[in-house]
Amino acid sequence: MSLTTRALRNLSRRKIRALLVVIALAFSMAILIVIPAGIAANQSATQKETSGLANTIDQTSAAINQTATEIQCGLTPSAPSGFGFTSGGGTAIAIGGSGTQMVTSGSLGGGALGGGFTEPMNESLYNDINSSISGVAAVEPTLQVTEGHTETIKPPAGATVIGSSGGASPPASFNVTVPDYIIEGVPLDSSLINNYPILPTNITAGRNLQAGDNDDVLLSENNSAYFGIGVGGTVNILGTNFTVVGIYSPSGADIQDLYMSLADAQAITNQTDTITQLNVFTDNTSDVTSVANAISALHPELTVSTAQDRLSSLQQVESLYNTELANAKATMNQTNNQALGEIILAVATTSLIVLFVMQYTVRERTKEIGTLKAIGFGNLNVMGQFLLEGILLSLLAAVVGVVIGTVAAPFLSKVLLPAVGNSLGAPKGAVTVGGAASLASAVTVSPELMLIAFGVAVLLGALGSVYPAWRASKTNPAEAMRYE
Amino acid sequence: MSELVLNLENVSKTYMLGKRSVPALSNLNLKVKKGEFAAIMGPSGSGKTTLLNVIGCIDKPTKGKVLLDNVDVAGLHESQLYKIRRNKIGFIFQSFNLLPYLNARENVELPMAAAGKSKAERSARAKELLGMVGLSGREGHRPQRLSAGEQQRVAIARALANNPAIILADEPTGNLDSENKQGIIKLLANLNLTQGTTIIMVTHDSQAARNTERMLLLKDGKIVKEMQGLHANKKNQTCPHCGASIQINDDTCPVCKKSIYASDELFSS
Repeated sequence: MSLTTRALRNLSRRKIRALLVVIALAFSMAILIVIPAGIAANQSATQKETSGLANTIDQTSAAINQTATEIQCGLTPSAPSGFGFTSGGGTAIAIGGSGTQMVTSGSLGGGALGGGFTEPMNESLYNDINSSISGVAAVEPTLQVTEGHTETIKPPAGATVIGSSGGASPPASFNVTVPDYIIEGVPLDSSLINNYPILPTNITAGRNLQAGDNDDVLLSENNSAYFGIGVGGTVNILGTNFTVVGIYSPSGADIQDLYMSLADAQAITNQTDTITQLNVFTDNTSDVTSVANAISALHPELTVSTAQDRLSSLQQVESLYNTELANAKATMNQTNNQALGEIILAVATTSLIVLFVMQYTVRERTKEIGTLKAIGFGNLNVMGQFLLEGILLSLLAAVVGVVIGTVAAPFLSKVLLPAVGNSLGAPKGAVTVGGAASLASAVTVSPELMLIAFGVAVLLGALGSVYPAWRASKTNPAEAMRYE
Repeated sequence: MSELVLNLENVSKTYMLGKRSVPALSNLNLKVKKGEFAAIMGPSGSGKTTLLNVIGCIDKPTKGKVLLDNVDVAGLHESQLYKIRRNKIGFIFQSFNLLPYLNARENVELPMAAAGKSKAERSARAKELLGMVGLSGREGHRPQRLSAGEQQRVAIARALANNPAIILADEPTGNLDSENKQGIIKLLANLNLTQGTTIIMVTHDSQAARNTERMLLLKDGKIVKEMQGLHANKKNQTCPHCGASIQINDDTCPVCKKSIYASDELFSS
């Protein structure tokens, strides 16, 4: 009878024993399968987290670099004659002296885009600063005009005026201007728009504004929806027709900003030679303080704001991200070490189980082995039979183990690698990775892993049965004569 | 029929028990011709098993020559010996030694599988052999579904599988009741007569021994006595009881009506 038939028949000979051994082996195989699956899930989660954090850090450093040399200058409105009030809902509305404005929270990396000063001032200031202060690389004059409609607002019952000592009640109703769009007039000068963060960068349709554009406008996605117009269309702004050359996706506070040339903005708002803000860029970050001081000395009426505040806040975020990254890596290393230990244990257990079972089998079957040798089987053939038996046992266990592993992967990986569940489920610190909470249950056994498991089973089965099989091959054929 | 199948010349075998050497065989000489049916008898410790192991290429003598089909196997290495066992020797064991997870046919096929014969050849030969030992139709039965006598028949068929030069039977009737004993002895005797199979049988059972051709008595590692058995009479075609002429196929003498084979009644008479 062929070697394989003999090996197979022997396995089915003592069914209960084979079953128990297979179950024991299967659990250790399942562990062998689940751990790499857990590690793979952990690694991909950490990788996602790492690349996410690295991206954010890159973007943040870019933002820091871009705005580090930027100084914003403008006129601060005269002390507001208006008032503010709060209602129970937590929204605050401030009503200023010159018109009314919604207060939006500032964005971290906004830079020159959006926000800023709104008081009109003379464009001649541009030449003063551009020509007379050393360390200035460029100056960008901008005009920001908010266009909106008036709404009548009734303060909710019980609202009080902010800052009033007696908790005075606001008027029964008042008018506010709700912005529809904000005109951003920027100098379309190629040396400026190519080198400094003046125009939005995230163009989703058409093209960005470029030097020489005239009666052309770049809309935000919100503007496009508001006007109901797309790229190539014509939009009438304050009586003048503009061609929409592109649409951008807003990154922060600039959701309602539409961009055009400074000259166009001045023309349609009848504000020739008027600007609302000067963005001064220095050659080096080390020049920022001296340039800011020089501007203040030259034009004391200007409010000067440097990027120092933003810078320090960005650096804080960066350090937070770096800490998180280090944590993630540390957790992964710890998990990997734990996994390695468990894999070694499972490998040792598997081969030891095979070793003991095969050793027992060989001892129990001394007479049978003696008979095989007496009737003419060689050492190699006998060794082959017992190696094959060990491998088949191990393979059978691998099949059961893969089933157990596949069904119980999420549960087992949580038990075996608690760090996977913890680090993936609830990252420490401020940074969260999308979908991380469900990663522990995303531990799955891939087909490749199953194939590897079968390969490992063959190896471990062979490893565990090498010694017993060798012992079997050395059995004296005279054992066949022994009468029990 | 004078060709020597087995020739032991001055064979000695000494076992070491600690520092004490224990002789099991001492200067033993034995010649067996092709087609002989011999029985080796002797008390416990006389060296029967050692002799059988030396003939069967399981054990090597300390001294002397063991010529099997004119090849001295005494000096061969295990890597050669298993091939000699496979091709020249057929073993029959006291406890049958069938593999319980293989059926009768598969058990008979084992020595042929060891010799690398094709599946078809193995299967056909196994069927033929099982028919020869009277087990036609029971090829698919596993040992536990066969009686003790039937199991020993399967074992005999297995021993014949590779057409060995010698069948070595170690107490082949030791585990059988008297009816099956007779059946097995008759089967061996018939194989010897019809197939010319050379058989050497070690036995305690004097009745079984008497039915062979040569009875060799072993004592202290030497053959001390040789007698003629009843099987010699059958070959000579003379009745052992009355001396009348008999046919080779006769089980009883046509003249005196006594059984040619030794039985309890024969022994008691």
